[in-house]
Amino acid sequence: MTTKASSVWISDLSHTFKKQTKPTLKNINLTIPKGQLTALIGRSGCGKSTLLQMLAGLLIPSDGAVRINAHTVTKPSAKWNMMFQKPSLYPWMTVRENAALGLVFSGTYKAKQDRVETLLEMVGLAEHKDKNVQQLSGGQQQRVALARSLATEPEILLLDEPFSALDAFTRTQLQNEVAEICHNQGITMVMVTHDIDEAVAMADKVVIMSQNPGEIVGEMEVNLTYPRDRSVDEFISLKEKLFNEFEKIDIAKQNSINEDNL
Amino acid sequence: MSDSQIKPQLSFGQALAGFKNLPNWLQSMINATSGMLILLLVWWIGGILISANPDTEAFAAFAPEATFSALWYLIETGSIWETIYSSLSRIISGLFWGVVIGVPTGVLVGYFLMFRQIANMPFQFLRMISPLAWMPIAVLAFETWDSAIVFLLAMATIWPIVFGTAHGVQRIDPNWFQVARNLGADGYQMLRRVIMPAIAQDVFAGIRLAIGVAWVVLVPAEYLGVTSGLGYAINDARDTLEYDTLAAVVVVIGVIGYLLDFIAVTLIKRYSWHVE
Repeated sequence: MTTKASSVWISDLSHTFKKQTKPTLKNINLTIPKGQLTALIGRSGCGKSTLLQMLAGLLIPSDGAVRINAHTVTKPSAKWNMMFQKPSLYPWMTVRENAALGLVFSGTYKAKQDRVETLLEMVGLAEHKDKNVQQLSGGQQQRVALARSLATEPEILLLDEPFSALDAFTRTQLQNEVAEICHNQGITMVMVTHDIDEAVAMADKVVIMSQNPGEIVGEMEVNLTYPRDRSVDEFISLKEKLFNEFEKIDIAKQNSINEDNL
Repeated sequence: MSDSQIKPQLSFGQALAGFKNLPNWLQSMINATSGMLILLLVWWIGGILISANPDTEAFAAFAPEATFSALWYLIETGSIWETIYSSLSRIISGLFWGVVIGVPTGVLVGYFLMFRQIANMPFQFLRMISPLAWMPIAVLAFETWDSAIVFLLAMATIWPIVFGTAHGVQRIDPNWFQVARNLGADGYQMLRRVIMPAIAQDVFAGIRLAIGVAWVVLVPAEYLGVTSGLGYAINDARDTLEYDTLAAVVVVIGVIGYLLDFIAVTLIKRYSWHVE
């Protein structure tokens, strides 16, 4: 089961919310090649979730554009699918019905129902498929959300801190699984996080964002193979490097804001 | 050794403990039957007291024996079915209009803040008016008595349905909309797969309340001009001093009201998505 990956181009993107004078995002330029796993990292309020919503077509930028495979993103599509912080499953449906919902919406469920079964098996929920989703644990619910996102064969998987509400053990396990699935199936992934460990564990490239306004201020490649061993020196030193880089950029940005305000 | 020492005595505490060990469904059935038996007992004692008092003995036919005998006569002759059919068809028509107008209005009230702000005061004002207060207007506005009664029933049912639906819509998790849009849902799919299942239990809870109000309003509404229905049957029995028939119709009203409520509760349970 492989999925066609695609490229993302973000060009000169800026965004100012209504009733606000300062932009939330300013001059964002980013290219994400096919199949790359990218993490957007930054402090709360730096606009990284806003940027992700624009990639999903849930928000339209004030200026600039997001293109996926040369198509300008103007509305949501199952082809660029988002997993949210909360699994937001439909509590009146079973595990299978939730996972199949995207296919039901596109009218392809009958033709592709085997895919749902395969995905539920892949995320370890085959034996729970007829249960109501309220009977599952938080980690299992997030797995259903993952299966639901993958069922529509997305070209891009967008993750908005999807594991932040889970316990440490489940979080680590799911981080590894999602990264491997995307990597093996060639799915382009863009993830928002403020967890440095998560960024290094899952991404090929980490993009650092600053706030007021949200800008891309740095990038770091993570050249580690999957599955990633978090105990090796290379992993730990990359985490330290990213943390130092983030801190350096953050302090520089704060200083420049303070100077501007003087 | 005396007899009392030999016979095993079951204390109240032991009996209560034994009762609590019974399966839940059996406890529930025993409790429900006990409730009905208490009601019958009170009714029976009331009947004896009424018969014993020379001032009230004319109303002795309200007692259970006379009532059940009159009820059996109504069933045997088949006249009760036509009466029930007339009333139920009016209730269903009133409820139909209550749902057709109430559910979409409730969705608008629940979904759009501006609509809610505009509608809140007028709706609260209208809700507080007794449905029976519309009677003179209904008589003027509608050509037939039947239509006037259906209008009164619609006025009784609409508000619980509007507010029940609006409450359901307001409880919808906004993320459900976002996820559905993200998965490619169009407007109809959003309504069919997200909004309707999410609010179904609240709509049926509104319908349950509406049935209760409509059933109460039905009897006085059927005093209006019509010559069929349970309300008419009560009025007619009173005028002809057939108190046993009057009481039998009251029993029928209670039984049907209970059955309608049972159907509504079953629908609420069927569409409730909360896992116990």
